[in-house]
Amino acid sequence: MDDSQARKFQKDLNAGLVALVLLAVLDRSTEDLYGYEIAKRLQKANEGEALFKEGTIYPVLRTLAAGGLLTSRVVPSYSGPPRRYYRITDEGRSLLSQWSGIWRQTRGFVDRFIEGTDS
Amino acid sequence: MSAHAPRSIDEYLKQLRAALEGQDPALIQDALYDAEEYLRAEVAAHPDKSEADVLELIASTYGAPEEVAAAYRDTEAKVKAALKTPVPAATSASGWKRFFGVYLDPRAYTSIFYMLLALATGIVYFTIVVTGLSLSAGFAVLIIGIPFFLAFIGITRVIALGEGRLLEAVTGERMPRRPVHPGPPAGWMKRIGEMLTDVRTWTTLLYMLLMLPLGIVYFTVTVTGLAVGLAFTAAPLLAFARWLGWDSDVTLFSDDAHIGGFVLSDHSMFAALILGALGVLIVTLLMHAARGIGRGHAHLAKALLVVPGA
Repeated sequence: MDDSQARKFQKDLNAGLVALVLLAVLDRSTEDLYGYEIAKRLQKANEGEALFKEGTIYPVLRTLAAGGLLTSRVVPSYSGPPRRYYRITDEGRSLLSQWSGIWRQTRGFVDRFIEGTDS
Repeated sequence: MSAHAPRSIDEYLKQLRAALEGQDPALIQDALYDAEEYLRAEVAAHPDKSEADVLELIASTYGAPEEVAAAYRDTEAKVKAALKTPVPAATSASGWKRFFGVYLDPRAYTSIFYMLLALATGIVYFTIVVTGLSLSAGFAVLIIGIPFFLAFIGITRVIALGEGRLLEAVTGERMPRRPVHPGPPAGWMKRIGEMLTDVRTWTTLLYMLLMLPLGIVYFTVTVTGLAVGLAFTAAPLLAFARWLGWDSDVTLFSDDAHIGGFVLSDHSMFAALILGALGVLIVTLLMHAARGIGRGHAHLAKALLVVPGA
């Protein structure tokens, strides 16, 4: 019961954060990345228990691309189906800086109460 | 959780497909494509482990089929709600409003565009299929027969994807965003065997052949309707210009025409107004017809180009 509540909370948090993280990863990368590569970068950065399943980033990537925040191109691959490489657009960059600001503000606000620095 | 964790890529995809049952076939195709890309890359990244060993850990990295299916369902629902074009309030509107409300519906205009384009795409598709099939038959005895046939079917799949994207833009019907996955690497003979037994290969060819007669009909209906309707609509303007003293050679009626008890002479304003009203009616009906045809055509395309579970 406890576990499922924790999972639900994590899921609700992830709803917007996954998109933010994906934009940030693609913004920092000097080259175009495909789904699996992005998933592995996140996995490496994320020690211990995974915050989200890698399978959940694919639909978000597609949504971001459909919204014009990412562009993509397809490159054939030897190991499996052709890979779709993503790159962040200017629109995506400006949204990322806006979202980053919101995230910092939110994090600071929440921390003030959780860490008790508000009193 | 499912009865047992998948032990192979095929098994994983099968469970994912089962978990997505009832969803839009286009969404299922996309989800299976993404999962296959990840799983094959993961297996290729661990050459020292067997497929079963890699799959064992998949639930904790990529996610179990149920979790992944849920992610696609949620994202799809959110995106759909966000991207939905607001439909002009049609349900509560009166008959007149509903009839003329079609002019506010962007789908009606895009459908008309599609119907005009259909003649061109229909000719191209038909030519590709007829040429491809006959050359495949002719080359079958030669060494280039096999690669030619593979390339031909590959082209039809790309066209099917493109046609789906176009139709989604025009009618809003959800279509696949990824091509059909060709499956694990296999020999040419096996590939050809799979293509020949895949229903979708044949329904795609059928669709491309059908596009020629359909394109001719769509194009003719649209051009005739627009030309006649717009010309009629312009009749009152012509009569008005003439009333103002403009001398033109254009004739509205070749002879005195009779409708009911009225005599419609060439210079009658009344006749021109009737004609104008008729023109507006024709154009409006054409808009309605185009919207309906666009919707029906999208369903046809989905039935023939996107086969669930194929």
